[in-house]
Amino acid sequence: MIMNKYVNPDNLYIARSYLTTESNKTGSWRFLRPCYDEKTAPCSIACPAGEDIPRIEMMATQGLFKEAWEKILIENPFPSVCGRVCFHPCEGSCNRRDFDSAVAIHSLERFIADTAIRYGISPELEKKPSRKQRIAIVGAGTAGLAAAWFLSLLGYSCDVFEASSEVGGVLRWGIPLYRLPLSALRHDIKQITELGVAIFTGKKVSKEMLSELKKKYDAVFIGCGHSLGMPLSVPGENLSGVSEGLEFLRQIRDGKSPVCSGVTAIIGGGNTAVDVARSVVRLGGKALLLYRRRRQDMPALALEVEMALEEGVELEELVAPAVISEENGKILLTLQEMKVEGEECGRDRVIAATGKNRQVRVERILKAIGMQASESWQQADRTDNEILTLSHSVLDSRGREAVMVLGGDIVNKTKSVVDAVASGKQAALALDILFQEGIEAVVPKLQACLVGPGSSLSMEIFMGGERRLRNKHVVSYEEINTDYFRFSPRVTQPRLLKEERIQSFEEIDLKISAHMAMKEAERCFNCGLCNQCDNCFIFCPDTSVILGRDHQGRHINYDYCKGCGLCVVECPRNAMSLGEEKS
Amino acid sequence: MPTDVLDRELVHSGHVGCPGCGATIAMRFVLKALGEKTIMVLPACCWSVIAGPYPQSALKIPVLHAAFETGGATATGVRAALDMKGDTETTVLTWAGDGGTFDIGFQSLSGAVERDENFIYVCYDNEAYMNTGVQRSSSTPYGAWTTTTTGKDWKKLRKKNIVEALVAHRIPYAATASIAFPEDLLRKAQKAKNMKGSRFLHIYASCPTGWRIPSEMSIKIARMAVQTNIFPLYEVEEGLRYTINYRPKEYLVREYFRLQGRFKHLTEKDLDQIQQMVNEDWELLLRKAGEHV
Amino acid sequence: MKRVLEGSHAVAEAVRLAKVQVISAYPITPQTHIVEILSQYCTNGTMKAKFLRVESEHSCMAALIGAQSVGVRTFTATSGQGLALMHELLHWAAGARLPIVMAEVNRALAPGWNIWVDQTDSLAQRDTGWIQMYCEDGQEVLDSTIQAFLLAETVNLPVMIVLDAFYLSHTYEPVDVPEPEEVDRFLPPFAPKFQLDTAQPCAFGSLVGPGDYMDMRYQIALAMDDALIRFGDVEDAFAALFNRRYGPVEAIDCADAEIIFITSGTVTSTCRLALQELRAQGEKAGILKIKLFRPFPVDRIRKELQAAKKIAVIDRNFSFGASGIFAQELRAALCNTPRHPVVFGYVAGIGGRDVTPELLKEIYWLTKNSEVPQKESIWMGIQEVKYAD
Ligand SMILES: Cc1ncc(C[n+]2csc(CCOP(=O)(O)OP(=O)(O)O)c2C)c(N)n1
Ligand code: SF4
Ligand SMILES: [Mg+2]
Repeated sequence: MIMNKYVNPDNLYIARSYLTTESNKTGSWRFLRPCYDEKTAPCSIACPAGEDIPRIEMMATQGLFKEAWEKILIENPFPSVCGRVCFHPCEGSCNRRDFDSAVAIHSLERFIADTAIRYGISPELEKKPSRKQRIAIVGAGTAGLAAAWFLSLLGYSCDVFEASSEVGGVLRWGIPLYRLPLSALRHDIKQITELGVAIFTGKKVSKEMLSELKKKYDAVFIGCGHSLGMPLSVPGENLSGVSEGLEFLRQIRDGKSPVCSGVTAIIGGGNTAVDVARSVVRLGGKALLLYRRRRQDMPALALEVEMALEEGVELEELVAPAVISEENGKILLTLQEMKVEGEECGRDRVIAATGKNRQVRVERILKAIGMQASESWQQADRTDNEILTLSHSVLDSRGREAVMVLGGDIVNKTKSVVDAVASGKQAALALDILFQEGIEAVVPKLQACLVGPGSSLSMEIFMGGERRLRNKHVVSYEEINTDYFRFSPRVTQPRLLKEERIQSFEEIDLKISAHMAMKEAERCFNCGLCNQCDNCFIFCPDTSVILGRDHQGRHINYDYCKGCGLCVVECPRNAMSLGEEKS
Repeated sequence: MPTDVLDRELVHSGHVGCPGCGATIAMRFVLKALGEKTIMVLPACCWSVIAGPYPQSALKIPVLHAAFETGGATATGVRAALDMKGDTETTVLTWAGDGGTFDIGFQSLSGAVERDENFIYVCYDNEAYMNTGVQRSSSTPYGAWTTTTTGKDWKKLRKKNIVEALVAHRIPYAATASIAFPEDLLRKAQKAKNMKGSRFLHIYASCPTGWRIPSEMSIKIARMAVQTNIFPLYEVEEGLRYTINYRPKEYLVREYFRLQGRFKHLTEKDLDQIQQMVNEDWELLLRKAGEHV
Repeated sequence: MKRVLEGSHAVAEAVRLAKVQVISAYPITPQTHIVEILSQYCTNGTMKAKFLRVESEHSCMAALIGAQSVGVRTFTATSGQGLALMHELLHWAAGARLPIVMAEVNRALAPGWNIWVDQTDSLAQRDTGWIQMYCEDGQEVLDSTIQAFLLAETVNLPVMIVLDAFYLSHTYEPVDVPEPEEVDRFLPPFAPKFQLDTAQPCAFGSLVGPGDYMDMRYQIALAMDDALIRFGDVEDAFAALFNRRYGPVEAIDCADAEIIFITSGTVTSTCRLALQELRAQGEKAGILKIKLFRPFPVDRIRKELQAAKKIAVIDRNFSFGASGIFAQELRAALCNTPRHPVVFGYVAGIGGRDVTPELLKEIYWLTKNSEVPQKESIWMGIQEVKYAD
């Protein structure tokens, strides 16, 4: 503490100060206590996969693309896919929306995954030691593969049985290449297989085979999705010119070019309907999209609809098929006009406008109004209360045989890729808890792994990663110190021109540069996350924020901190808190 | 900014500055920029106390406490003696409050600057005599309450424009800076360090105690002073070349005044009038910077 | 080498010989001749020093405080108003234990602008902690100025060399100016006991609580006591080299004197003439010249005056509401001795009035013819105007 060892204070007795002030413990003045307190970002609770988005974007800002990729993979093995086809609810709750516009989280996810592909990087992820239990997975769709991924990370060996010749489910067979190129899907799947997951293709699991599996394995995850089209329930539905949209897409993804001459009517308003319509256009046909509600009510992504219309798809709103008949080798479709009246379940209700019918003549009809389970055992029995029904999976551990788990589209309310990932994750964690601690522990333990007050599960929390410590408080826009942010336009996604688009099934969204990506990542507020900006250190009047090598990179020296609160207010992203000093 | 500059710490903990004191933040920044080879002349001000009672010192550089009104002159002598010893490397820094600069020390400062003494003079401006308990100075802004401008006698005179007064001396370098803009402040302090002759930094340093604001607001308010044009960030070289360093978003001064206890008596009409004064000053500055409005 | 010099130039030569490194000054008559020469010396290379042309005496002293704190030898000169303006910093310099040397040319204080001699300006600074030496002639000025540096640097207190306006500052006399090498042997380069140094960072002049402050002030008192002894040492060393010595006081014909004049400054020279005449008339008169006013050489004074019946203190100064300041000091010095002369105080020569041998003899006779003083101080040569009429 002696500052100047050369001075002998007895030399001349004058007001010459040679000691530091450090013997004054000014911390005793404090009645408010600042502390580092990382909180939850609204985007990460909106993400069904619970991705730690502020952390991922922080790493991307710093150019740590591999680390960012690993941060995604710990919650979602499909970044390359989700960066392209996810409906990104995260962006809808991004705090930056109140400032200028949401961060392009999905573009960044895609960029990070593509960068990993480009450099052929392998992720380094924490894997738990091997467990003795073995798990069979029925269906190599998103949910099944996700379950396999998370179970493998948790130390379980998994065998996946897939009926078709290639894995990926809807991703492989149901999404057009212009949205999801094969290489992107294969890259994500490669990571899963490299983790040691065994996949058996061309193995359709029948009821009998299921009984076998139940004997051989400790658990069976059923994630075979819905493969049976929903009926239109109108006369003429079974005519030969009427078929399933998904099947149409499948043919294309199987390398075939189904005939599309003339007008094709597509019934539905979801992403599949739009995918079908746009594929028809690409195959040289005319697509007529018929939807019983309005454009703004369509479940399909707004951008997809917009591009479809640009590409020449015609949309008729407020019409429902009433009768289908044949007429001179063509299809005569009678449409019931609909009108908006009243509300139901929080959205406008449509009802038939009586006496208003129209007829259209088309070459064929492709249905895209949803799918259902093809066999009854693939459906969850939700009546037995010994069966554990969770948000994205159903667990049945009755009897002495293997635990049965249903997941993916067959149980999910929202049938999206990312919900399928959430399902696989939930099933994996639930099984691990069940095996290690018993069925009673499942619900409370899963509860403890939710991101903030939301319903998304976090593998990172489950694995005891450092981000489990983040406070469940969700950072609101008001809690961001926007003085530290500048308006900056959201990255504009480069795309093929519409003329180029309709020529082929070439991917529409082009790559963004690393520079653009980092700039976009920098737009992220990093809500609730310390990104080492050092404001606390910079502004501390009492030199009481000490830079160091601990996990936070800094700590508060409470011997001197007077509790002025500046660090907390000047933290741009609410990664600190000020509480009352106890005692 | 190189990290060794940012990480360099020449202010000890354990000093007795009030919680949230802007003057101590300003000191940390300036010393980071100037480094250990600096000798400080410290006329009477809050910092005379913050710097520590005998035998303690809150600063890791040599400090010469000086009489209130002698900032310019004492530094003149320190510089002369260093030069006589052949030490041209050490920076001489005077660190004074607004009272010690605008008022009682003005002559001494003016004399030193006229002589183009080779030193840096920093005025940390908390807009009143804080050491003695919040009395008005010629830096106290129009509208402010102090313990000598109370009740309906709140200060109805403008704040002296100290930078312009120094510019009139054709000082080689004069700049304003704010504790809320560390990068700008550090850059200016470093720039000053690398120049010769008299250099003046006018640093806005909020004072929670004297301004009747919560301690955690002192940076926010300093930032608002800049954002509202009340305290524009600019620099002047050779008394001629003006550079405006920050383009405010034209926030209303009202917001700034509303947050501070020292202005709570002001009516809407007063605030309108103050807004006009601020606009006028800003336009004057733009004109000087050759940026006609 | 003998040269004919003004008193002011004697100061300047001494400063040159002392190899002062930083000089700061602000012009005021009658100090100007001192600093004009020094300014030229700094410009033409005669001296390797910085001359700071500051904008006031206040800044002048502040600058020296700054320079001296870095550990170099410093000097300034001022007078009257200038010294008064410095007042705050005179305390500062002494309190900081800075061995600054200053030549102070006694000048009357305004209003009523008056540039002529009057000691009130310097005596008003008697409590500031500065050593004060009142000189009688050019040689003494030169010698004392050189000695002042050694004394100041030995006890770490500032020294004021005081000389009368015009009678001394502007009067040419033959002065023996020593060679630089001789002075170097007497006065080594300044070796500061403390200094501002970035390699050993300390804060000087920090806040001091009552616990330490009083003890630190006591140290100054001790240093002043020490200065009295060191003054003798310095004079011894000086005499060994230059064969000149002045003493803190000079007693002239005091051994058998019944009435002793107490003088300071150039009045002493005049008084020497009056004394010759009085002695010629058989009067048992003497003179005690006081050179060292701070520290006040009480013991020497008591000893020199122990046999006298009366003393006549000549004050070219006045402390309003009390008396002449030397008279006060003498009363204070003597009152605790068992047997001491009666103290008669006379105020004379204020604002540059002539103090002639005749006036001094008049004072002698007044003293001799009075049993006790009529007043604490008698103002000599006053035109009686009724007060407040
Ligand atoms: C000659 C003199 N007059 C008055 C004072 C008392 N005094 C000490 S600090 C101070 C106020 C300082 O005000 P400012 O320079 O603005 O610094 P602040 O305390 O506000 O930081 C005053 C009036 C003094 N020390 N010296
Ligand atoms: S009174 Fe103001 S300037 Fe002084 S120490 Fe307190 S907060 Fe800082
Ligand atoms: Mg102030």
